[in-house]
Amino acid sequence: MNAPDPNEFDKSGWIAQARDLLDQSADGLDAATLSRLNRARQAALATRARRSHFWMLPAGLAGTCALLLAAAVWMPRHGVSGAIRADTPATSQATDSTDAGDALASDDSPEFYQDLDFYAWLDAQRKDGAG
Amino acid sequence: MASPTRLDAVSNQRALDQFLRGVERRALRMAELGCGSRDDALDLVQDAMCGFVRHYAEKPQADWAPLFYRVLDSRLNDYRRRRTVRSRWLAVFDRPDTEDGDMDPIAQAPDLQEPGPLMRLAGGEAGQALEGALKALPLRQRQAFLLRLWEGFDVATTAQVMHCSEGSVKTHLSRALAALRRSLKDHQ
Repeated sequence: MNAPDPNEFDKSGWIAQARDLLDQSADGLDAATLSRLNRARQAALATRARRSHFWMLPAGLAGTCALLLAAAVWMPRHGVSGAIRADTPATSQATDSTDAGDALASDDSPEFYQDLDFYAWLDAQRKDGAG
Repeated sequence: MASPTRLDAVSNQRALDQFLRGVERRALRMAELGCGSRDDALDLVQDAMCGFVRHYAEKPQADWAPLFYRVLDSRLNDYRRRRTVRSRWLAVFDRPDTEDGDMDPIAQAPDLQEPGPLMRLAGGEAGQALEGALKALPLRQRQAFLLRLWEGFDVATTAQVMHCSEGSVKTHLSRALAALRRSLKDHQ
């Protein structure tokens, strides 16, 4: 089927008039509708802004995990000092396990650590005798 | 100081805003003619804007207009499908959608030498007559008329927007012109 030549549309007056009428109807929208269109546009643009920050979520999670891991590695070696030792039973258990780690790493024999209470008592007796 | 990437993003966002500001009124009128309700039309336009921004904002600016209207056309098709399904369930039938079925294209072809039906109608009356005639058109014919003759897309771009062949665009448009001419004559 032969469609009308597009150039003939321009010559055809009623189509140009139809175009003008449609333009007028679009230009003559009321303020409330224009305001809603404005909100719709802003909402659409906001989806893009949100989308452009999507990479931050995995990056933030990865950063947090790395920090937690670094803290977990660093704290047992340097962070927990004798000052915290008497805080809570849980803390005491943590420091006891640190002492066990020290004992394993040192050159002293295991028997020495088993008799540690006896040596402490003997030391106290000596101090009392001297006093 | 802002980085070049950040500046690009800001300028692109501004260009998007300008583009959407430029098409929103016509898009609303197109959607309104398609669905018959301003509220639904506003929802459709917002939906189309969001879809366009989400999927096509990074495309070259020269392609934005056809891509935006493609999204809107797709939303209008979805709307019509939903409405058809709903009306079936409710057993309330809209006007019969003749689409392209049983019309003789040669008999319906417009005579472009004739002065035209809108010429004899006064301003406000002509606007109402045109709106009524456009609303009465099947969706594809109305979209072909609006995209091709109002938006000014060429046949190939209109076909791309409507997701059909160039031949279909010509057929839809020819039938739309014939139907408009007929129904506008009835207003006189």
